[in-house]
Amino acid sequence: MRRLVAVALLALAPACSQEEKAPAPPMEGQLEPIPNPHGSVTPLPDPELQEGSVGRAPRRITVAQLQTSILTTVGIPWAELDGGLGTTLGRADYANIVTENIEPNLVFAKFLEDGARKVCKARARAELDIVDPTARTLSRNIPNLRDAATNLTKLSDAQVTELLVYLSTRFWGAPLSGDELTRWKSLFTQVAARAETVRARDQAFAAMCIAMMTDPRFLTY
Amino acid sequence: MKKNPNPLHLERRGLLKALAGVAGTTLFGGLPFRAFAQTASLQPADRCFVFVYFSGGWDQLLAFDPRDPTVFTPERISETRILPGYNLINDSRFETMPLVPEKNGVRSNIAFGPAVGQLSTHFDLMTVVRGINMNTLGHEVGYRYFNTGKRPIGSAARGSSTATEIVGQFAPVVPIPSIAYNIETYNDRYPGHANALRVSRSRDLLDTLKASTDVLDPEIEQQLLGFRDQPTSCEAEAYAARGVGETYANSREQVQSVLASRLDNAFRFELAENAAVRQRYGLASSGPYDNEAGRAALIATALKKGISQCVSINLTGGLDTHFGTQLTQANNQRRGFDALATLVDDLRTTDHPSGDTFMDHTTILVFSEFSRTPLINANGGRDHHLSNSCLLMGAGVKHNYVFGASGDLGMAPGTFDLRTGAATPTGENILPEHIIATVLASANLDYSITRVEPLKPILA
Repeated sequence: MRRLVAVALLALAPACSQEEKAPAPPMEGQLEPIPNPHGSVTPLPDPELQEGSVGRAPRRITVAQLQTSILTTVGIPWAELDGGLGTTLGRADYANIVTENIEPNLVFAKFLEDGARKVCKARARAELDIVDPTARTLSRNIPNLRDAATNLTKLSDAQVTELLVYLSTRFWGAPLSGDELTRWKSLFTQVAARAETVRARDQAFAAMCIAMMTDPRFLTY
Repeated sequence: MKKNPNPLHLERRGLLKALAGVAGTTLFGGLPFRAFAQTASLQPADRCFVFVYFSGGWDQLLAFDPRDPTVFTPERISETRILPGYNLINDSRFETMPLVPEKNGVRSNIAFGPAVGQLSTHFDLMTVVRGINMNTLGHEVGYRYFNTGKRPIGSAARGSSTATEIVGQFAPVVPIPSIAYNIETYNDRYPGHANALRVSRSRDLLDTLKASTDVLDPEIEQQLLGFRDQPTSCEAEAYAARGVGETYANSREQVQSVLASRLDNAFRFELAENAAVRQRYGLASSGPYDNEAGRAALIATALKKGISQCVSINLTGGLDTHFGTQLTQANNQRRGFDALATLVDDLRTTDHPSGDTFMDHTTILVFSEFSRTPLINANGGRDHHLSNSCLLMGAGVKHNYVFGASGDLGMAPGTFDLRTGAATPTGENILPEHIIATVLASANLDYSITRVEPLKPILA
């Protein structure tokens, strides 16, 4: 028994001596080590307890974020946001309303739809006259839109995919893929065919822009 | 916190059915309105509220706290410090004595000032509270005090507007729970659904309710609508998780419902279908309808069509009459009271879907930020006065009843036993928070934010 205890003590000795070993003093020019300011890592909560997701809940973007997002993604501003509409959509004036309302309520949904239509239609129409595709935002990979030879229904699958991946990345910061990409491609095919029929090519891009801008991914983060 | 015991529900299934109908045609044109209306008609709230603000500080001698000019004569000014001045109005439309109407053999217990006019015939629905101590002579402080039921800090409002409290607690299923028409609105503790839609004019409301004029080709619109009805991807679901996405989806459904119902047409009083509204409220054949009568018509439409539960409105203004004649004040008040009388006429002759009339389901609070001095100043006007009065009408409050009184010496705010309404030197002042607590209690809502008890004798 004594022999067993002695062996056990001998086995534990290195571990004890390692734990007690003091850190070497810093050398000349070396920064002194500091303890981890973050302490121990708190594990993420169980996703099952949070409807399958972890982290904070998504939030609706503020009016200022919306304004910037539209300008960045579409390329033209939604001018009405600078007027009274910004307040209607929830912007705080810090006089009567001191907290921004970021609830995607009826009024927000209504005016976002209006705003999406306004800027998307205007931008899509303007892009018809922009010859350089890289200067466009909604029809980036389509050659000359005014050219009679261009036909949106004749775009290859790869071209449509490229367009939609570009647009989804631009609008949401995440590229479309999988089944969802197929659904969006189907939408584009439908609206493109109709747009060609009614000779209003810009409407196909406007429709895609409206659909992406009114998607929850555009207005949440 | 007490909740509405019978909240009305706009069924999601009904909305989806209606949307399916919408999807069969174009988005904004050629809608199957009849089919939609049958499946997704909006229901008026079971309990409605109207907050009517008379802007500028009213002369309560002309409104809800009159005095007999044969008693309060110019000769007794030094003794009473009150001069009704009804004879100075000098217009045949205004009586020179307080009005005490009678209806169906019942005499009013409430005396009204000459400016109240036709509204006084609805005394059988009213409670008047007199002798309220506003504790302020500042416009902003006064109306914010009445707006929230909490005394402002300096001139900054505290707490939520009473309308916000109401829709925050009721959480009504109506498209725009609270409308604030040219009046401030506050929300300090409720989610966004309780926020009022603040509009400065009727056109703002129309813009909210009307479909966008930026439409695409009808078939493309249809394709877009069909696409939105498809199930979303896992990633989209993740962004939409935990509230925000569902709220947004519901909001979009509501938008479709509102647009498909063409609720904006209800507020386009120039339309032929609204001829009866024009006639009732004496509106011109073309807008804009931003006068008192137009605002009253807007209130009635918002409540009756099931669009809103609360409407807070700056009904009339021009009452800050430090200069000029008594006629100016009387005229400006009269426009507001006449419009209000038409509104009450309308509400008490319109059946509510839950039974009785709309007036039986509606509480109206009429207030101003303070009153005007009982004596006329050197410029022929009246200045700001501390004591005030207000009117409560309709559901949840006693009818043909007066609570409190202002003093016969300079119309000073009185002190009362607030449990009984009896004047007593050892009692308390009536304050705006008592009025707001009473309004909330009249609908069995939580009034603890006011930190006072309601005026129980007023409660029906």
